[in-house]
Amino acid sequence: MNPLFAIALRNLLRAKRRNALAGGTMVLGSAALVLGSGLSDGIARQLTTNLVAVQTGHVQVVVRPADFQPQSSPFDAYGQHQLPEALALAKRIEAEGRGIGVLRAVPYLQVRGTVIAGNRSSLASIIGIDAAREVELLAAFAPVAGAFLPAGDELAVYIATPMARKLRLCVGDSVSFVIQTPQGAVNSLDAIVCGVFKKSAPWYDNTFYVPLTAAQRLLDWPGGATNVKVTLADGSRAGARRARQAIAHLVEAAAIVPPAKGTRVRVETFDEAGRFSFSIIQANEVALAILSTFLFLAAAVGIVNSMLMSVHERTREIGTLRALGMRRALVVRLFILEGVALGLVCAVLGVALGATGVLYYGARGIPMNTMTLAWMAGGDVLFPVLRPASALRAGVLIAALSTLAAIYPAFAASRLEPREALQHV
Amino acid sequence: MSSLLLGMLLAGAMPSADTIVRRADKAVLGDSVTYRLRMSVVRPGRSDRVVEMDGWKKGDDLGLVRYTAPAKERNTAYLRSGDNTWLYLPAGEKVVRVGAKQNFGGGDFSNGDIFRLSLIKDYDPTLVGEETLDGIACFKLELKAKNRSVAYDRVAYWVRSDGTFYPLRADYYTLSGKKLKWLSVTKVAPLGGRERPTLLTMENALEVGARTLLEFLAIQDDARIDDRIFTPSALEKGE
Repeated sequence: MNPLFAIALRNLLRAKRRNALAGGTMVLGSAALVLGSGLSDGIARQLTTNLVAVQTGHVQVVVRPADFQPQSSPFDAYGQHQLPEALALAKRIEAEGRGIGVLRAVPYLQVRGTVIAGNRSSLASIIGIDAAREVELLAAFAPVAGAFLPAGDELAVYIATPMARKLRLCVGDSVSFVIQTPQGAVNSLDAIVCGVFKKSAPWYDNTFYVPLTAAQRLLDWPGGATNVKVTLADGSRAGARRARQAIAHLVEAAAIVPPAKGTRVRVETFDEAGRFSFSIIQANEVALAILSTFLFLAAAVGIVNSMLMSVHERTREIGTLRALGMRRALVVRLFILEGVALGLVCAVLGVALGATGVLYYGARGIPMNTMTLAWMAGGDVLFPVLRPASALRAGVLIAALSTLAAIYPAFAASRLEPREALQHV
Repeated sequence: MSSLLLGMLLAGAMPSADTIVRRADKAVLGDSVTYRLRMSVVRPGRSDRVVEMDGWKKGDDLGLVRYTAPAKERNTAYLRSGDNTWLYLPAGEKVVRVGAKQNFGGGDFSNGDIFRLSLIKDYDPTLVGEETLDGIACFKLELKAKNRSVAYDRVAYWVRSDGTFYPLRADYYTLSGKKLKWLSVTKVAPLGGRERPTLLTMENALEVGARTLLEFLAIQDDARIDDRIFTPSALEKGE
């Protein structure tokens, strides 16, 4: 070990109480930062996983009006217009997109309507899916009763727990859906509940899954869909952007003409299609950055104060060292090394404390008891996530802060004249 | 017995499906009328919701109703002009466009049911035969939507065959062939100088026990109505 660093460590131990107090601030600050990052990363993961699995895939093909403007609604990703020949397009993307990492391309159809069960009714988001190929959806919306849509059962409907409670539905009960087709006619569909899935983000509470062919009959769109969602091997935002170009070429080659006037086929990445989710993620990141800034400022004031006290207490010692020939630069280095040592110790302790908290709550989950919290977290329970990069960032930041905060006291110490310092009482 | 039916009987012929539907279309309300209406929305396990309203109708395309009671809903208004329907909410002082197929006032009638009482424009009628329904002799007709933009793909329609051509019942079916709701037209009483059905009951075939009653309290036929009241701006001004 560098002898100067060993001296710095020893000096820290000479003022245990004061350094413990200053260090405690940094430990708590870095732990809070790791916890905050864990919450923010947990929200981001929940929102992104749900968005990708339920609505967009990593890339989606959808028909939009030429002047389409997202409404910052959780339903922005759903198409409102018919994408004709959706099944053929999905097969083409899947077959020809292997080289760009396409794992699956599945069409689905979303329509709003009313669900009626006995003398209860509610607004419904009815989604027709190809159940056998909805791997990610099944993982996101696992059944808590009954089963996912069985293959070949045209009458089945898969519902969310809040709607099962509201309409007092159990597996085996029947429901009716009534919608208005885009052309204007009223249509209906009878279905039997095959399964109930666990509650997810609140905006999926009134979602009902039915077979794609049943939804196409309901909407009077034979062969049509509203979206084709594409799942990629590389699910990162950069990976999705790269694949979008290639998928756009495939869609262009398919020469699809949407029947609705003033619309066009668009290829969107999940972050473009799900702006609502990403605006929540962004808001959380901004809130975390603001919180971190204040935490760091508070910790920095504590460190500067502690180091200045140290300089004051050790004035005679510094005078002796300077009288014995220690150069100013060495004094600066000694005090900065003390800051580095304090920062490193606090970073390790703080990250360990924060990581323990994240892992604990990550396993248990944090209940989001109010509607606002559930909307912010993308679910009724938030599972924080410990990302090594976030923990490392917190540690590095706190160590860097401690080092920077030591600079001013270090220069203050180096400016002491040996004669005056030795006379200090 | 009307001279039309007498003429037909003398001729030994049944009226055509078109004639029956055209006559039935005008049985309750004529071309230019004002009326007062009470609507009761019945939902099992809940108290009935009762509202009263004044209405104006001109032809098949212009219609306006304005709530007069209860006090908290007074001046809420629906306007139909051509294919467009607007709702005025006095609390927000806002006029919003609503769909013709949306529920009218939270009941089982749609906005289209209320404002477009003419079936002949949207349906091709076929006379199926004669039946006795609730002890009343009537013609049974099958009405098929002229295109897929019409709300109900098929309507089974019963019209009294006693010469009055009062509609008695209409069953409305969705595209998939499911019965969605049915309308009973009852309580024939003198109103506005002539006898006519005064109670329309729409029952929901899907929601058990749900029904909505529309009772005409007063009707004035051949009323002089200024077209200017059928505009969204007039709706907002409360004219």
